[in-house]
Order: sequence, then structure tokens, then C-alpha cells
Amino acid sequence: MKILIADDSRVMRQIVTRTLRQAGFGDHDLVEAADGRQAYDLTLKEEPDLVISDWNMPEMTGVEVLRALRAKGNQVKFGFVTSECTAEMQQAAEAAGALFFIIKPFTAERFDEVFSPILG
Amino acid sequence: MSVDTVPTVEDLTEICDQVWASYLDPEGLNPLLPVGPMAGIGEMFAAVSITGSWHGHVVVTCSANAARQAAAAFLVMEPEEVSGDDVADVLGELANIVGGNVKSMLPSGCFVSLPHVVTNPGASTRFPSAVQICELAGTWLDEPVSISMWQSNGDRAEVRAA
Repeated sequence: MKILIADDSRVMRQIVTRTLRQAGFGDHDLVEAADGRQAYDLTLKEEPDLVISDWNMPEMTGVEVLRALRAKGNQVKFGFVTSECTAEMQQAAEAAGALFFIIKPFTAERFDEVFSPILG
Repeated sequence: MSVDTVPTVEDLTEICDQVWASYLDPEGLNPLLPVGPMAGIGEMFAAVSITGSWHGHVVVTCSANAARQAAAAFLVMEPEEVSGDDVADVLGELANIVGGNVKSMLPSGCFVSLPHVVTNPGASTRFPSAVQICELAGTWLDEPVSISMWQSNGDRAEVRAA
């Protein structure tokens, strides 16, 4: 499967990649986006099977990316890895069609719990 | 919001314990050891601003060596291998993680900014319209580290008037 990792922090993209590997999902093709606009464009261009996105990014927020994709008819599996976690954000994410909401800091165990049903 | 809902140093400690366990000290060998206030340690600085139903800043300050050690820990590299960009990225992400978690403790309707990072040891960073309301200061790998919250004066005036 192809996974797109969207985060404006390069270090955090590396940590997400490393944690995916630690959780046993190291064999998938990875694509990276450094802001929300790139995440949107690369999702349409690269057609990943899964998007793992930060919430607060330059150009477009993660939920804006998700809403824009859904408005265009794109149904890619999409979820958030973010330091911000409020009930209103989780509700907004679910309403937009997000599959998961992982809070930073996270662990490989949390990745395993969330991604095993998605990535197998 | 009432003063009681503002996160405390205990809340900052709980957030930082999670950050250290996940990224800075996963083996549990080098925890952040709390000490008293550490004015003037700010060689490196990162902050996020919170606006909305609460106004203020979450600030991470540390020595240059602590910042380099933090970048190395995040990236699982040796300290001498990390670049200046790595250090800035990690400091900003530290402020972002702490700030995001602080936001979850505040009344609804808050927004967290993208991080602002200063890595020039000679730079001076001030918040002229805010006062520090709590600080978790400590040493990590024998280097000074401080995580603090600053509340805007206007916000405090509103709280007092409420």
C-alpha cells in the first residue's frame, strides 16, 4: 500500500515513518508532504491508500485538506496525528470523514492499535 | 474562563512526562529533573501562541546543548550529526506538542499557532503584553530546560473583571 505522511515538521514525518516501522508497517511505500496544499495535491497525484496528516499546517489545515478531497469525490482513507485534541476537533474530524485521531506524543503500540485494522 | 481552569505546573509536568517517555527518554534513563526557576537560560527558544477563549503563549527554552541533544533524541542520531535545521524543527515541534496538549485543557474555542523558533543564542525574546503564569524548570542531561505558560495581560484583566 502507499501511505502519504503530511506534516510541516520534517522531524515529525521521520518519527511517524519510524513509528510505522516499529509497529510493523515498514514495508509500505511512503510519500511525504510538507504542508496542507502539498498534501492535497499529492493525494490527487499519487493516489495513496492512506493519508496520515497533521492538523495544524501552513497553506491548508489537515481538516481543510480532508474536506477538499471529499468535496472532489476522493474517498482516500484519511486520519490525523496531531498534538491538539479537543472534543470539537475530533467531532470536526469525524464529520469530515476521518478514520482515526492519534495524539502526539504517540507510541508504536498506539500506531499498531489504529493501523492494524486499516493496513492489515 | 476562571483562573482555576488555567493549566498548572503539574499539568505541564504530566505533558512533559509523556514527551520524554515517547521521544527524549524512551529508555527512562534521563528524565527531566525539576529545579527552581531558571531565569536567563534562554539560548534556544520556541513558542506557540494560543488565541480564542484564552490568550497566551507556551514557551520552551533551553541551552544550545540541550536543544542539540533533543534533536538527536528525536532523530535517533548522535548530537554531532544533527543540523541547525534539525534543532529548530525539533524545538518547534516540542512547543507544538506541549501547546497542543495545553489547548486540550483550556476552554473550547482556542486556536494554536504554528511554532515560532529562535536559535540565535544572542537573541532576546520577550512577551511585553503577557506574564508568566507557571513554569516547569529542570535539568535534562545536566542542561537547563524550561517549559512555561504566559498569559496575556488583557486576558488576565478580563478574568479579574469577571
